[in-house]
Amino acid sequence: MRLEAQKLTKACHAHEVVNIKKVPFGSGGLEGLIGPNGAGKSTLMGLLTRRIAPTSGDIQLDVGDGVHKLNPLKSYEVARIGLIKTNQRIQGFDSLTIKDSLRLAATPPKDEGFSSLFSKMRDSDEIEDKVARLVEAFPFTDRNGYAMSGGEKKLVDILRCLIAQPKLLLMDEPTAGLPDDITRMVMDMVRQKVADGEMRVVVVEHDLPMIWEYCDYVHFLSEGTILFEGTPEEVKSNRVVAEKYMGV
Amino acid sequence: MLLLDSIFIGLLEASPLILAAMGFTLIFYLNGFMNIAYAESITFGAYFAILFNVVLGAHFYLAIVPSMLLSGALSVAVYLGIFRPALNRGVGPTEMIILSVGVSFLLRYGLILAVGPVNMFLNEPNITYLQFLGMGATNLQLVALVLVLIAAGTLYWMIYNTGLGEQMRGLANNHDLAMASGINPHRTSVAIWFIAGCAGGLSGIFSGVFAQVTPYMGWNVILITMLVTIVAGVGSVRGAVVAAVAAGILTAFITLVTKPLYAEVILLTMFIAVLTFRGARTA
Amino acid sequence: MDYLIFSFSLMLVYIGLAQLLHIQFGMAGIPNFGVVGFWGLGLYGTGVLYVTYDVPLFIAIAIASTLSAAVGYALALLVLQRSGQAVLAATLALSAIIATLIVSEKDITGGVQGLGTIKFPFGDMDGRNIVFMVFILIIVAALVWLSAKLRDSRMGRQLVAIRDNEELAASLGKDTASTKRWVFAVTCGMMGVLGGMSAPLHQFLVPYQLAPSLTFAVWIALVLGGKGHNLGAIVGVFVTFGLFDILIETYAPVPAEQAILLPNFKLFCYGLVLIMIIMFRPRGMLGEDKPKVRARPAEVEGVPHET
Repeated sequence: MRLEAQKLTKACHAHEVVNIKKVPFGSGGLEGLIGPNGAGKSTLMGLLTRRIAPTSGDIQLDVGDGVHKLNPLKSYEVARIGLIKTNQRIQGFDSLTIKDSLRLAATPPKDEGFSSLFSKMRDSDEIEDKVARLVEAFPFTDRNGYAMSGGEKKLVDILRCLIAQPKLLLMDEPTAGLPDDITRMVMDMVRQKVADGEMRVVVVEHDLPMIWEYCDYVHFLSEGTILFEGTPEEVKSNRVVAEKYMGV
Repeated sequence: MLLLDSIFIGLLEASPLILAAMGFTLIFYLNGFMNIAYAESITFGAYFAILFNVVLGAHFYLAIVPSMLLSGALSVAVYLGIFRPALNRGVGPTEMIILSVGVSFLLRYGLILAVGPVNMFLNEPNITYLQFLGMGATNLQLVALVLVLIAAGTLYWMIYNTGLGEQMRGLANNHDLAMASGINPHRTSVAIWFIAGCAGGLSGIFSGVFAQVTPYMGWNVILITMLVTIVAGVGSVRGAVVAAVAAGILTAFITLVTKPLYAEVILLTMFIAVLTFRGARTA
Repeated sequence: MDYLIFSFSLMLVYIGLAQLLHIQFGMAGIPNFGVVGFWGLGLYGTGVLYVTYDVPLFIAIAIASTLSAAVGYALALLVLQRSGQAVLAATLALSAIIATLIVSEKDITGGVQGLGTIKFPFGDMDGRNIVFMVFILIIVAALVWLSAKLRDSRMGRQLVAIRDNEELAASLGKDTASTKRWVFAVTCGMMGVLGGMSAPLHQFLVPYQLAPSLTFAVWIALVLGGKGHNLGAIVGVFVTFGLFDILIETYAPVPAEQAILLPNFKLFCYGLVLIMIIMFRPRGMLGEDKPKVRARPAEVEGVPHET
């Protein structure tokens, strides 16, 4: 499983926001991506999922069924191959309940055609089960209703991505907006899924202790390029990282 | 020669359209929605002219200014009474267009209920026919053209060279920043809606005197006004003027060459083409 | 009595159109301001096939509505992924093109002279207008029923998600563009069916029938009744068309000079109502309705489930 960016650049008004020569994501289990503000982390995430078009360069994804060139694809096609990203800013479906939102994400698109008008049950037992278990695991104010706070909406966003069974999950600042205990629950769940071989994960974060605790491999992004990468120990003790980021 | 004819006829016929397009664009630019009720600024301008010119007996040229001003006042009233409260309630752009259809119906059919569903005529000043570069035009048409050019020029100057114009562009481009820098959005908006209403009214006055005054005259041109605004691209007033002139000339040219109905179809098809390639993307 | 049947049949057509608009706008978020165009393609398509080529009525309707669907699909390909304002403008422009072409291509359509006569398909039978009305009733009832099934289905849920946040739905793997296109095309095709069914009602077709006032009447009815509710169309049309066009115009004792003004008064009220609704109760009279999902057998044993 590899997500590779080659010579990937994104320029905004002649200012280069991202410039990655060649970076393989997805081979190291649970990976982290850190860097100072404005380093281009979110832009990179957007480029990888094709929400933003690159100025130049290629992105390739191999989930085990061959190499897919991501450049010409639309964002739904990227998701169908197995690359899904959580949202940094809160996004949701206001008209759908928490469970409906998750059911939506869990339902394969091929089951959402016109023939679904005539199914007996809207959702299969399997999906109902999955959704119920996921929602029960977390302390929502109204499990059968709607997400109440910003934190709940953020959590639903992450759970949606999880239930969609991605092969490679990109998490864009998952801790922002979530209470610490919930973040732990989420990351424990994520770590378990990675360990079980269900998916690979790349987490973009500012919360360094969380990164050191959960990640097997860390990439350091600064001014649009990957300056260094390695295990948490190696990255923690690297001088360039310390200078540019941790303000030592 | 065909081209010159087209340009000339196009300009003459486009003069009211140019004014309407500019006013429509101002509102679109400032508030971000297409105000279909703008059609009634055009219609009411003509009816105000009837009031001064026919009912009160003033000379046509004297009736122009008060009619135009009343039209501007009506525009402000509609803004303050309906559109601003709606925007404050957070009504989205698509719903605002639907709302403006409602306002248009209210004004147009209210007008018919008040004055009756008959068509009226303005009392034209004396018509003299003039020759201009080998083509014929009436003095009235030339006056209209000149007024339009003056109005267009003034509007252009106002938008790009005065404080008010700057404020408007500031509000349109970045509302919060504009507010933070001390621009009074209330007054700026009222001024813009007033000017837009005047432009529409003037457009109606001349459309009315060239042909006749009917309650549907504004409604009949609102589609092409929308077309011109969208082709001009997200409410650039500069672009609106160019697009309106081009639309007028193009219509004239096509009409000279083929059936007038085809001119409409071709224009509308081009409209859809522009939307296809230029409309903002969703996903 | 015949006039009542005619009016009621017309009202049913309006309900059908408003129901389809509920699917397009209320559920999928597509603001179609060209309703009269798709209906008109069905109307005139049927008329031309029937009058000029002697095609039996129902086959003519089938062919004409396929044309409506195809045109809807084509337009969707062009503009459906643009902003709501662009879609609104494009659909409005399309219906104007259709209306204009019907006038200009008079060799085919009869132009302003009109096209006719299209008769009810039941020979000389007594009460054939009633039978036809029942046909329309069945079609419209089916539409309302299908619309509810759509609301309660997985596809309906996807549509709501697309309406709420299309980009997010796409990021989860939903081909939103394709879903919207197909829903739009099928509903436009059904508008064509209603147009075809309107041909024997009007009997004689004229281009004036394709004026945008039909589109606006349908919109006002739907917004009033509640664009997000499955029964919003029925309620809205009853309160507008039913109240004005049937009740008041037929039965209210209005003197002749005022009677001419009645249509204008109606439209004035429509404008007022539209303003009131959008400003104060955008959800309309009925508000929104939620999907009704059948309870699962397991829940009978007391395990918590959602209502």
